[in-house]
Parts: sequence; structure tokens; C-alpha cells
Amino acid sequence: MLSVLSYGRLVARAVIGGLSQTDSRDYSLVTASCGMCYGDDACFIARHRSADVLGVADGVGGWRDYGVDPSQFSGTLMKTCERLVKEGRFVPSNPVGVLTTSYYELLQNKVPLLGSSTACIVVLDRQSHRLHTANLGDSGFLVVRGGEVVHRSDEQQHYFNTPFQLSIAPPGAEGAVLSDSPDAADSSSFDVQLGDIILTATDGLFDNMPDYMILQELKKLKNTNYESIQQTARSIAEQAHVLAYDPNYMSPFAQFACDNGLNVRGGKPDDITVLLSIVAEYTD
Amino acid sequence: MFYYICLRRRSRSGTRGEALTSRRAVESGQRAVLPVSVEVEQYAKEVLDFSSHYGSENSMSYTMWNLAGVPNVYPSSGDFTQTAVCRAYGTWWEQCASAPPPFRRTPKGFHSQDYIELGFEEPVYPTAVEVFETYYPGAIVQILACSHNPFSQNPPSDVRWEVLWSGEPTKVLTPQARQFSPKIKHISFPTNLLRLEVNSSLLDYYTELDAVILRGVKERPMLALYKMPIIDISDLSDSEEELSDVGGPYRQGGDGKQQRTGNGYFDKLPYELIQLILSHLTLPDLCRLAQSCKLLHQHCCDPLQYTQLSLQPYWARLSDASLGHLQSRCTLLQRLNLSWTGNRGALTLTGFSSFMKACGLSLVCLEMSCCHFLNEACLEVISQTCPGLQELNLSSCDRLHPQAFTHISKLTRLRRLVLYRTKIEQTAILSILTFCIELRHLNLGSCVRIEDYDVVASMLAARCRSLCSVDLWRCRNLTDRGLAELVSGCRMLEELDLGWCPTLQSSTGCFQHLARSLPRLRKLFLTANRTVCDSDIEELAASCPSLQHLDILGTRLVSAASLKKLLQSCPRLIDMRVVQELSGLFPNVAIKKSFTQ
Repeated sequence: MLSVLSYGRLVARAVIGGLSQTDSRDYSLVTASCGMCYGDDACFIARHRSADVLGVADGVGGWRDYGVDPSQFSGTLMKTCERLVKEGRFVPSNPVGVLTTSYYELLQNKVPLLGSSTACIVVLDRQSHRLHTANLGDSGFLVVRGGEVVHRSDEQQHYFNTPFQLSIAPPGAEGAVLSDSPDAADSSSFDVQLGDIILTATDGLFDNMPDYMILQELKKLKNTNYESIQQTARSIAEQAHVLAYDPNYMSPFAQFACDNGLNVRGGKPDDITVLLSIVAEYTD
Repeated sequence: MFYYICLRRRSRSGTRGEALTSRRAVESGQRAVLPVSVEVEQYAKEVLDFSSHYGSENSMSYTMWNLAGVPNVYPSSGDFTQTAVCRAYGTWWEQCASAPPPFRRTPKGFHSQDYIELGFEEPVYPTAVEVFETYYPGAIVQILACSHNPFSQNPPSDVRWEVLWSGEPTKVLTPQARQFSPKIKHISFPTNLLRLEVNSSLLDYYTELDAVILRGVKERPMLALYKMPIIDISDLSDSEEELSDVGGPYRQGGDGKQQRTGNGYFDKLPYELIQLILSHLTLPDLCRLAQSCKLLHQHCCDPLQYTQLSLQPYWARLSDASLGHLQSRCTLLQRLNLSWTGNRGALTLTGFSSFMKACGLSLVCLEMSCCHFLNEACLEVISQTCPGLQELNLSSCDRLHPQAFTHISKLTRLRRLVLYRTKIEQTAILSILTFCIELRHLNLGSCVRIEDYDVVASMLAARCRSLCSVDLWRCRNLTDRGLAELVSGCRMLEELDLGWCPTLQSSTGCFQHLARSLPRLRKLFLTANRTVCDSDIEELAASCPSLQHLDILGTRLVSAASLKKLLQSCPRLIDMRVVQELSGLFPNVAIKKSFTQ
């Protein structure tokens, strides 16, 4: 039986503890990447004083038929975003700005760059503990807390298998090529907590692995160190890769196709890129 | 006289006493306890100022800001977007009709065409400077260090610039990347502000720089104390003395009597002959000569020696006081070059307006590139004191407020106007074009604040019929309508720079119309226009026989066949840039290609 005084002290401490919600520690993302046949996909992980930034881009394969290498556009886009972040030419709360500026920088190249890709940018603002995201197309991200998905991105599609995409068309073909403005990207902002898991990936993952399977894999993540994250990212990517080539498996992609009247079954062979991050305390 | 100069110099730098003490220490065999000096290596923290660059404002591609920080590209060689690139290279800019003739009396050692100023985190006594050049190296001609800390809150005072290294522009055999680390002079003050001066005239393509390292020590190296200052007669630091000390010997001898001293054979030489001899001297020599005797003083102060005055080579030392002392000689001044001068408080409105009031009446050409001391009041002074001004260069005066440009419309005799990289806005440029109808050469390159270039083109066509060259590099929104009006109205056009104008589409026929309308065309830049095609080239071949410079880098739609046709039809073609490879069939033509490796 506690004395009144010590009981009072306990209550006071709990109340004060509850009131001081503000955590003055800086957050950071510990991120590992894994890709199965990176191919036309590209990604980047960049650190800046004020934020950690990740991005994935999925090059549209159709360009190959016209003699254009689809990986050039997505690769250059991601490299440009990485440079922008490293040089501090961005605002953490405006990830769409990162996409817009990168896209216009691509146009500054002397030799013409052709192609198109989707893009998804995730920014963690260290001090405010907010995650800001921008998504154009069908790549995307999931935020998992306590074994449940608490946030996810929406796919942007014009029609079946035709996602929103940034593109640079050859002269004269501008009308014939789908080209979405970077401003068309979906953006969102929300708070994150220490221990939150963020999975950013291209559609190669989400089309082959439903949420419950992804969550199952994430449950196996015990540690917040880089090696465990790397291992989990690899196992997710490998599993998705296996499922992609299974002709009998009812993948999310096949499910969606059926819902749209197309009678298909099996996985969807595609480039798979997975960036797995955990929100942790910032250490230099 | 010489001795007088020697004494003054030593007492000013104050190293004599220290030198003597340390010398005594060495002679007596004593070993001074040296502080352990750690060498600090730093990359540039920030690019503070520069005269030009290839890229767009607010971009990271080919812009000067890439010079800060660690290298992005080195040791790869090639034409990468992540490097710092100047606006021009080679000699063709000087061969264009729009290029001003060079100023007389340019000292032989002054080769600089462009500059870049870099700030570093910590001031150090420099021991080495390394520049990472990633393409066509050899353009750096001077490296200087400044005593002022650009990041300090205090206003600049007693700003000194010291040359760490100086050399000739070179052309390295291969365009490959290299680390350039010339042997630098040791200086007596710590510095965190370096300036690189560049000359690309010998190069076959743009020089590209990636990063700069400043190596130095925090503690003053002992070596500097042993060094006795050697009097170098070509050292310009004396020029300020001369410029501010005119009349010294006069005052000493001035006791009211007008003593006619014999000048020997000099008295037999005709006046004009001495004037002719003097016309070969550089400005500091002229000022020093003025102090030798009365006769030569009279000659050296004769306004006829100062019809052209270039103070650009002496930018580091020019001050209000210098202008004040030159004032009385400049009453017949016609061409004045103040480019690069006056920054960090060296020139003020007072000094500048006093000088302009004294010499403005006869002034015909005024070069004021990168003059950051300029403000609206200065431009107002120019418009009031220089009614006959025909040439005005405000290139890269990017701190000038947009409002300042409205005063230029009062200079109705203007024939050449350079506003590259300035903040001029729509109303001001339209006003200028309304009144300055004699314009022959106009440069609006990278003028990003102008909203509608079609309207500007339309105004040019209506008012400036004698336009000979126009530079619209990176003008974002010029369309075929504006271009059509421009070429219809300005039939005398010889030079047209439409590089990086993304809104011009060949499918509208605008380039063919251009070729047909401008038979005198000598220079055409369509850099990075992705739509230039064979029919445009064929029309150029048919209609523009005088073509000398052509840039169609960035299009994939032009075939080798139509280019060959062009090269055959345009015998004067000496410089052409294209994306694809061309065989060596035309040895007299410089054919450039952009590539990375």
C-alpha cells in the first residue's frame, strides 16, 4: 500500500509524462534496398541534415519497342532527385517539389533524354517527425505500425496497366505519348513513431504480394539494425519474385484483372524494387 | 625616387622588423620554437559570385554552383551536367559583329575573361590550391586570395587581394580530366575567399570544373618571416600609390617659382611623338612616369592619352580615390571599361557619380560587367551624364534592382546593350526598345524576369529596324509567332542566338522562314532545340551563304547528308556543333559533339 505522498508523486509523474508529448530527439530512417532484376526500375536513398529521403521509379517498358532504353529515364530521374537532396535544394514538407525540380533538370541535359517512369518520393523530416510523401503512378509505400498497415499510397492509373507517368517524348510525338505533370502526384503528410516500418516499392512487389504476406514477412523483423532490415527486404523481394513466375497463383494483379473482366491467373513478372525502412533515433 | 618608393613600401607591409629579428635568430644559431601547424583541407563552401555560366538560373545543370562541395564527376571526363561551365569558349565570340573591339593598354599579363569567387569555411594561410578540371582543362589563368571573410557580419574594410598564381591560357593535348595544382605564392594574411580567373580562348570546347580544394595552415608559417620583400617593378600594388599620389614631387618643389629645367633631348622631340611613345605604356606605368618630371607629367596627364580607359585589369585595387585622381585626365574619355570593379565597397555612388560627371559628356562606350556596386541611383547618373552613350554592358549585374533599368530608355543613342543575366522586367525592356531605336546589338540572354518574349520580339521588329545581332539565349517563351515578326521586321540581322528556347517548334516552319528572311545571317544558335530537322538545314544551305557559326546540338533529326549539303553551300562556315559524329571531310570547320564517358 503506497503512502499518499508517493502515490501523489506517481500520479504527477504520469500526468507530466503524458503532457510532454514533444520528443525533442531527431528521427532518421534506417533503410535497406533490394531489387530482383532492377532492370527498368531505379531507386535512391539520400541523407540531408534536415531529412532522410527515399525514392523509387519504375521505367515504362513500352519504350523498348521504339528503340529507347527505359532504364535511362528512371535512373536519371532518381539520380537527379538524389543530387537535389544532397545539395539541400528541397523543402522536406514538399516532396512534389523534389519531383518537379528533378523533372525540369532532366530537360536541361544537352543530349535529349527520352522515356517515362512512375515515381514515389518519401521524406522524413527529422525534427518534426513527419513523413511527407509524393506518389505519381503505381509505385507506392506502406507504413506498418504494430503489425498493421496504418498508411498506404493510392495507385494512380489512367486505365488498366497504364499508370500516371512523367515522360519526355521525342519531338512531334508529344500528343501521342502519355505525359503527366509532376503536379499530378498525390501527396500526403502524417506523423510517424519510433519503430514504424516504411516499405517503399515499385508495382512489381504490390502486384505479386498481397498485404497479409508482406505483413507476415515484416513480423520476422526483430531488430532495427541494418543487417536485419537488409535480410527482410531481400526475403520480401525474393518471395515476390518467386510468386511472379507462379502460373497458378492468384496474385493481386490477376485479381484486379479479373475484376476488370480479364480472365487471367498467375503472377506478374516484372522488375521488383523494395526499400525497407525503420524509423529510429538519429545518430551521426 | 626609387629609394623613396622602397622605403614607403617596407614600412607599409611592416615585415622588415620581423625579418631582421628572425634573421638575427638564424644567424646566432638559435632555434625558434615552431608551433605545430596542421594542414587543413577544405572544399568550397559556397560560390559567391561569377561572371557567366552555361546553365539556367535556378538549375543544377552546367551552373557555377556545382563548383562548391566535393567533386561530382572527377575522375571521369566528359560533358556532364554536374559540373561548372562558363558561357563561352574559343575565339568566335570575339569574331562576332556584336563583340566590342579590345581596349588599348591592356597589360600583357592580363588574360582573364571570366571569374568565379568561392568562399571556404575556415580562413587559412594557403599552401596549395587544387582545381578539378573534368573537361578541356587549361583555362585557369589566375588564382587570387582575399583578406576579407565573406561570411562575417562586418562590412568589408581594408579588402586586399593577393595573386597566388598567374599563368597563360593553355591548351592541354587531351580533353581528359586532371587535377590542376600550380605552385602558389605564400601570403601574409589568412584567407577563406578565393577567386579563379579563366580564359577559354584556346580551347576547342567548354572547359568544365568540378571542385576546388584549398589547403592551408591555421598558424602563420615561419617561412613568410624570412622572406625579404623583393621590389618588383611590375607589381601593381604600387599603382594605387601613384594613382593617389599624383603631384607628390610637384608639391615638394613647389615654392612658387616656375623653374624651367632642361629636359635635354626630350625638348627636341615633337609633342605628338612623346604622346605616341606614351600610348604604349600600361596605365600604372603611365602613372609612375607622371612622377618623374614636369614635362612627362604634363604628357601623362594629357586627356588625349585617356580617350580609352580600361580599369578592368586593376579591379582589385580600384577605389573612389583612384577614380578621383584620374578624373581630371578623363575629360575626353570615349570608351571606359569598369567591368569587375568596385565590389565589396571599393566604389560608391559618390565616387562613381563624380567621375561620370567629369567624363560622361564624351563617353560613347561603357563596360560595367559584374559591377555589383551599381544601384538605381548610379544608372540614373549614367542616364543624366552620358547623353551620347552608344554602348552599355551590364552583363551579370544581377544585384541591380529591376527598377534601375528604366533609366536606360533615356539613352536614345544606344547601339549596343548587354543585359545578360540581369533582372530586367517586361515594362523596362519595352520602354527601352521604344526609345532606343538605333539599337544594333542586343543581349537578353538568361533574362528570366521578362514574361513574354513574343511581345519583346514584336517591339524589336517595330522599332529597331537596324538590329544586327540579338541574343535570346534561354528565353523561355518565345514562340514561332514572335520569331516570325522578329525576322520580318529586322532584316539586317546577322546574329541570332535562340539556344535553349524550348517553345520553338520546327513543325511551324519558323526556322525555314527565318532562313529565307535573313540572307545576311552569319551566326545561328539553336542549341538544345529538339525539333530542328533536315528541311531546316537545307533551307539554311539554300538561303544563308554567309553562315559562319551554327549550333544545333541536341537534335536527333538532322542527317549527315543535309549537313554535308550545308557545309558545301556555306564556304565561310568555321564552327558547327551537332549531336552526331561527322567524318573529317571538312577540315576547316570546327565540328563539335557533346559526349560523356
